[in-house]
Amino acid sequence: MPVKNRFAELLPEITEWRRDIHENPEILFDTVRTAKVVEDKLKAFGCDEVATGIGRTGVVGVIRGKSTASGKVIGLRADMDALPILENTGLDYASRTPGAMHACGHDGHTAMLLGAAKYLAETRNFDGTVVVIFQPAEEGGGGGKEMCQDGMMDRFGIQEVYGMHNWPGIPTGQFAIRPGGFFASTDQFEIRVVGKGGHAAQPNKTVDPIVTTSSLVTALQSVASRNVDPIEQIVISVCSIESSSKAFNVIPDAVTIKGTIRTMSKETRALAETRLKAIATSTCTAFGATADIRWIPGYPAMVNSEEQTEFAAAVATEVSGACDLADLTMGGEDFAYMLEERPGAYILVGNGDSANVHTPEYNFNDEAIPAGCSWWAGLAERRMPAA
Amino acid sequence: MPVKNRFAEMLPEITAWRHDFHENPEILYEVHRTAGVVAEKLREFGCDEVVEGVGRTGVVAVIEGTGTGPARTLGLRADMDALPMTEKTGLPHASKTPGAMHACGHDGHTSILLGAAKYLAETRRFSGTVVLIFQPAEEGGAGAKAMCDDGLMDRWNIDEVYGLHNMPGLPAGHFAIRPGALLASADEFSITVTGRGGHAAQPHGTVDPVVVSAQIILALQSIASRNADPVKSVVVSVCVVKPDTEAFNIIPNSVHLMGTFRTLDPEMRSLTERRLTEIAIATAEAFGATAEVTVKNIGVVTMNAPEQTEFAADIAESVSGHVDRATPPIMAGEDFSFMLEERPGAYIFLGNGDTAPVHHPEYDFNDDAIPAGCSWFAELVEKRLPA
Repeated sequence: MPVKNRFAELLPEITEWRRDIHENPEILFDTVRTAKVVEDKLKAFGCDEVATGIGRTGVVGVIRGKSTASGKVIGLRADMDALPILENTGLDYASRTPGAMHACGHDGHTAMLLGAAKYLAETRNFDGTVVVIFQPAEEGGGGGKEMCQDGMMDRFGIQEVYGMHNWPGIPTGQFAIRPGGFFASTDQFEIRVVGKGGHAAQPNKTVDPIVTTSSLVTALQSVASRNVDPIEQIVISVCSIESSSKAFNVIPDAVTIKGTIRTMSKETRALAETRLKAIATSTCTAFGATADIRWIPGYPAMVNSEEQTEFAAAVATEVSGACDLADLTMGGEDFAYMLEERPGAYILVGNGDSANVHTPEYNFNDEAIPAGCSWWAGLAERRMPAA
Repeated sequence: MPVKNRFAEMLPEITAWRHDFHENPEILYEVHRTAGVVAEKLREFGCDEVVEGVGRTGVVAVIEGTGTGPARTLGLRADMDALPMTEKTGLPHASKTPGAMHACGHDGHTSILLGAAKYLAETRRFSGTVVLIFQPAEEGGAGAKAMCDDGLMDRWNIDEVYGLHNMPGLPAGHFAIRPGALLASADEFSITVTGRGGHAAQPHGTVDPVVVSAQIILALQSIASRNADPVKSVVVSVCVVKPDTEAFNIIPNSVHLMGTFRTLDPEMRSLTERRLTEIAIATAEAFGATAEVTVKNIGVVTMNAPEQTEFAADIAESVSGHVDRATPPIMAGEDFSFMLEERPGAYIFLGNGDTAPVHHPEYDFNDDAIPAGCSWFAELVEKRLPA
């Protein structure tokens, strides 16, 4: 089964939807217009149920197969939100909203899932139920988490979930996936090292938080180098160091460091949190300072389930002739929350030789649409084959 | 009064003694031959009493004056021990014992005090008593303390004590001194960092004491840089890092750090001991390791008493015409400090000319300094205990 012919026919229409969404980018949970377009189309396609306002501005559509005797329900998920970037593509359908841009291809993801929904609602050539999930706020807002918290999985009886992301650098329409940890957890930390400030010429009357912080930053390197299994991935980056005073001759009262921790598993994530807190607390004690630690949980590691990954790769191979083993990426992805609740898989679809995501020159490649749509439709038809 | 003529006459003889000592260096308390030679000569000079075995291998001799002034007792002290080094001077009188060398000039100190003893026993132009003190184990063995612990001061009713040390870089026969702290307190510390050893390729299964030790060594630098009042002096030197394994591919179980700290006042001493202990324990804790800290005081601050210092400087002025009365303190330790803790007194530096520094394999005591050194001791007695 290569690309489905129907999607070749639908390509001009889906491309039109994609470009309309591209022209009208909306950020985080403010995807009001986009959600309305999605809702209207899903209703027009004849979905059996269309629910809105899930996870604030998320939309869910339900499409039942010719039969639902298998009792199977799979969730297919796309993201709708854009980024706070000023577009610089010069395209005729470039963003009309200055400072907002579909620079991560969520316009393409939404359009492809809409295309698949149209096809599946037309054909219903499967035994079970497809739940199409359109989420807001993937870019740092935790929209996936909010939809889960609204009870989406149970409400719609979802048993497995699948997601897809375009990937510049992979040939257009080709796929890549990997089982296990795939995208990193993205926790943030802020540590305020509180000493006792004073005159720079009288360090003996102070507890210098700058020296303490320097030692702390160095000590944090040992989490990756000594504590974590070298086979596992971890990044701890201290990205900001800021003293509470700005003078040349004042030892500050406090120094605040901020950074992020990336891991590929729950266990490494928990180890990193434990070690970071222990190192910060005791290093400060060694210098007579104290550490106020703020742990800001981000997305969990996105971990693909073995069985669903193998299945997703098989469908991708049918569509495109091959499916590569994807590299790990230390970026985060909030589809991780859905994969924490249900088994499933996340796949990359090639965007060809385009600018990288999150740059002002990026654009989704419409030539990837038939492959993406075919994968979605193939997933439903193969996972829940009609009798 | 310049150098006493008698010492110019005696110079060849005293130089011969000095070269004999130099050829036969003995370490710490093992100064059996040296002490034997010293005791024999003191008896030959006609000392009124010669006692061996004070502070294990120390020698004490008494010379009574013939004067009728107030009868007080002065202690004059020299050290006899050599260092565990291999001599590289190429001199005809170089050490005959490989791995032992008079690299700190104690051969000169002993010979000078013997020369003064010979003169004082011949002339006895003073009132009261001179007690000559020849101590072992100045180099890290606290021989002075051993002699004091044997009751030296009370047994011979010593009122004041004086000592001298040669000083490379100061012109031969010149003197330098200061009231108050002249030489530093010396403590030896030992930190055993215990982690959990393992395979070098599996650091995550270990608590690596090498990394913890490195962090401790860096953190210890902050005692001098941040905790100490910058107008005061402190030295913390880590001199030995020793893991409990020596393989290329084993993370050791523990690492032993050894070093010394030096200060010029008791307050700084206790601050340093406290901070060293806190830093080691809390830093180890930050890494999940433990640190066991022991601190052994091996020398107190060499504290010159103001009155005796001024007197000693006046004598030096009369002997050589060149005395620096405000030489900067030196962070080396000197165990004459234990004697100065028990009795008021003064310690003076005697120029050794442009020689290699002490504790260097090419160092040699400068015999040209002998007349000035002998004259200082003799003149001290004759002026402090006038006949």
